[in-house]
Amino acid sequence: MLRISREPSVIFTLAILVGLMLFFIIYPQVQVVLVPGLQGYVDFIVGQTWIKPLINSLQVMALSTTTAVILGFVYAYAMVYSKMPWKPFFRVIGILPLLSPPFVVAASYILLFGPRGLITYYVFGQSPNVLGLGGIWGVQTIAFFPFAYQLIADVLARSDARMEQAARNLGAGPWQVFRTITLPMARPGLAAAILMTAIYILEDFGNPALIGGQFTVLPTQAYGLISGFGDVSSAAAVSTILLLLALVFYIGKIRLEGQRSYVTISGRAGTIPRPPVPQVVNVACFIACLILAGLILMVYGVLFLSALTQTFPANWTFTTRHLDYLNANSLSLRNTLVYGGVAASICSLFAVLLGFLVQRRDWRGKRIVDFIAIMPAAVPGIFFGIGYATAFNQRWLDWLDRGALITISMIFWNIPVGYQAAIAGLQQIDRSLDDAATSLGASSLRAFRDILFPMLDSALLTGFVTAFVRAVTTLSVVIFLFTPGTTVATITIFQLVNDFNWGGATAFTISVVGMAVLVLVTVWVLSGRRVGLQKVQ
Amino acid sequence: MSSAMTRRDFLKLAGAGVALGATSLIPGCAPTPAPEPTKAPTVAVPTAAAVPTLAKPTGKLSVYSALNETTNNEFVKAFQAANPGVTVEILPLAAAGELQTRIRTEKNSPKCDVFVGGSSEFHDPLGKEGLLEAYRSPSSGLVGDLFKEASGLWTGWYIGVFSFLYNTDRFGKEMANVKKPATWDDLIDPAWKGKIVYPDPVKTGGGYIFIATQVFRFKRDEDKAMEYMKKLHANIGQYAGTSPQAIQLVSQGQFIGAPNWAHDILTAKSQGNPIELLIPEQTATEVGAVSIVKGGPNLAAAKAFVDWVLTKEAGELNVKLSNRYSVRKDVALAAGVPTLDQVKMVDYDRQWATDNKDRLLKKWQAAVGL
Repeated sequence: MLRISREPSVIFTLAILVGLMLFFIIYPQVQVVLVPGLQGYVDFIVGQTWIKPLINSLQVMALSTTTAVILGFVYAYAMVYSKMPWKPFFRVIGILPLLSPPFVVAASYILLFGPRGLITYYVFGQSPNVLGLGGIWGVQTIAFFPFAYQLIADVLARSDARMEQAARNLGAGPWQVFRTITLPMARPGLAAAILMTAIYILEDFGNPALIGGQFTVLPTQAYGLISGFGDVSSAAAVSTILLLLALVFYIGKIRLEGQRSYVTISGRAGTIPRPPVPQVVNVACFIACLILAGLILMVYGVLFLSALTQTFPANWTFTTRHLDYLNANSLSLRNTLVYGGVAASICSLFAVLLGFLVQRRDWRGKRIVDFIAIMPAAVPGIFFGIGYATAFNQRWLDWLDRGALITISMIFWNIPVGYQAAIAGLQQIDRSLDDAATSLGASSLRAFRDILFPMLDSALLTGFVTAFVRAVTTLSVVIFLFTPGTTVATITIFQLVNDFNWGGATAFTISVVGMAVLVLVTVWVLSGRRVGLQKVQ
Repeated sequence: MSSAMTRRDFLKLAGAGVALGATSLIPGCAPTPAPEPTKAPTVAVPTAAAVPTLAKPTGKLSVYSALNETTNNEFVKAFQAANPGVTVEILPLAAAGELQTRIRTEKNSPKCDVFVGGSSEFHDPLGKEGLLEAYRSPSSGLVGDLFKEASGLWTGWYIGVFSFLYNTDRFGKEMANVKKPATWDDLIDPAWKGKIVYPDPVKTGGGYIFIATQVFRFKRDEDKAMEYMKKLHANIGQYAGTSPQAIQLVSQGQFIGAPNWAHDILTAKSQGNPIELLIPEQTATEVGAVSIVKGGPNLAAAKAFVDWVLTKEAGELNVKLSNRYSVRKDVALAAGVPTLDQVKMVDYDRQWATDNKDRLLKKWQAAVGL
């Protein structure tokens, strides 16, 4: 692997990137970790209140990650390999669960599947206790499979169709191709997807808060300590446990990845069509996607009903009065789109450049920077926000616009998303391509700009899309940063929910989702490529 | 215990005052000052008149508010009308714990002048940490000693009562022969099995206040209180992650009843949900406070705001829009709530409850086997 010591420009770029990460990721987090003090940690550990939530967190993480990754894989496989109809429809539907502030969606699951749920009780006459482990598992599966789908689809789309064609020509059956070619080639992407999904699920606060009942996980414990008792110290200790867990996963991931890598020769496949899958697989893919899409549409259907009726589910009279909240809160909607859009653009560019320097160049401390880049994923949003408020609310920084600070927080909180997509993308581009460029005299940065960057467009878009949806839907990061002029949509929804204004909250949620879908579809169309999907001939 | 007795006496007096205040609104009925032996006259003291030498404040005022949206809007309008030189920038966050944390994290460069709303439990630690400015408003004489911090670090201005709500549709259909709960003991009737949703005491302030209330109800016999919680646990279908969520679930009919805050129940009811409020006896209260942040940008305006929050006008707006009880005796009650003297309060020792939180929660977890 190339060393960077001969290239000052690379050292300079790297220094800037690492410096920014130290200042905007590590520095605020250190503030949080230091809050409890030594005695605080001792008291907290002796108190043992963390043991149960820790076990719960690990349990629900194992369950939800398994199902979310399996569904994500099925969805991605169907989108990339099958010849099923309605693919654009499924692509939009697959992104919907990512776009909703979680507390509203989890609530609509309860309306559908609760003890008096529209489906469970009024259709099947059952009164299941949906709050608790089962509920969290169900909701998180639906909420997080799109993350896995995004990452896996990106990997599958770039795997080399020629190898599969060759295998088929040599007599391998479709199943054998899948098992011996497709799956192994997807391995780096799969590992990344599993790791990221696991960490997101571990960090997830919104769903367990609404559907967890007394089943307490670490993020809900931390949040409850703050919102219920104002105990930031113990809450920070909980957050530190989450960070340590992330470190464990990270080490596990490094071990798991091993030394084998599966690269395609030309950099990107798609020049020849993939071997057709059997018709029965097409049908199966279509049915699986249809079921998932139906489930997601049902959840949003409930939101629509709440937004357009007087008092759902008690009073189904049609009304448009909840839509008035859109006008009253247009500022927060606008802020959300501006901050989210700017943050996602910068974040995905930053992440791709960083991914290149980590994955393609050799330098001291690489592993540490690699860890820092995925660390924010393990930090509960609320602590990212507290860290920012503590670190950057200083007299000497009062000139800094709050909107800018919120945007910066969104950039660095979402680095892991873009970074993982970039690494997965780079792992499938043969090194000889950019090595050839450098051998011919191009600088590292030029090789990156002219050779790799154009090939990474889909990784870049995946990073943009996921960073955007996370920025648009985060509440806990901005809750300590927003000011009256820089309020965002999730804050508005949170306020409406706490005012028992369910109609207003759902109306606003629908409009946020609608706007975000519009932005994403525009980006897809403008970019001329579809995220996570190969070019179909 | 003596202080608790005083507190109960005060509440009774306050309740009587509230009742009298209510009658004074009826046309033809002469306003009668509430009987209040130890304090200054109970009629509204116009705050501006109380500090006539002070110039009217000007500039921007930053208010962190845990009140609901409509109350915020009306408060800004009314305060600005009374203080035309001040522009209020309100930062609404209906979650006092988050606001408290914000003020803490901003201590190097405070952005907030006034922290309004949220129970005193959220203001008090900030005062102890030296983050609040002591201010005794000229009107704070109207507020009972139990509802304010002695040196003026925070002043209580409304009271919230912990109570119970039930879904009228389902209760009428499924529990027609069960009597409506009048005491907390009625909730352990097996007829309620699986029909109650309860805010998780580990995560919510209200859920914990309920446990502490039981301890005080059994004269600090913790074993009896835990015995009660264990029986109640058998009737609890689910624990909710937040207090408002429990109200939401009952409103939807997912469960039939839930212990919760009276004012939130009334607010949810006013949205058209089929729910009803009950206030069982021997319940507890929270005191909603207002405080000034030390080193905030505009101290003069902050003081004017605290003065204004303690006026009758503000008290009445808060009752009308948030359904809470005002600490002022001359403010009428919200529709559908009993007077405070009709509400039987438990001898609630706030300090003890705060100090013993971790221990009691652990004891509760062991008792119910969670």
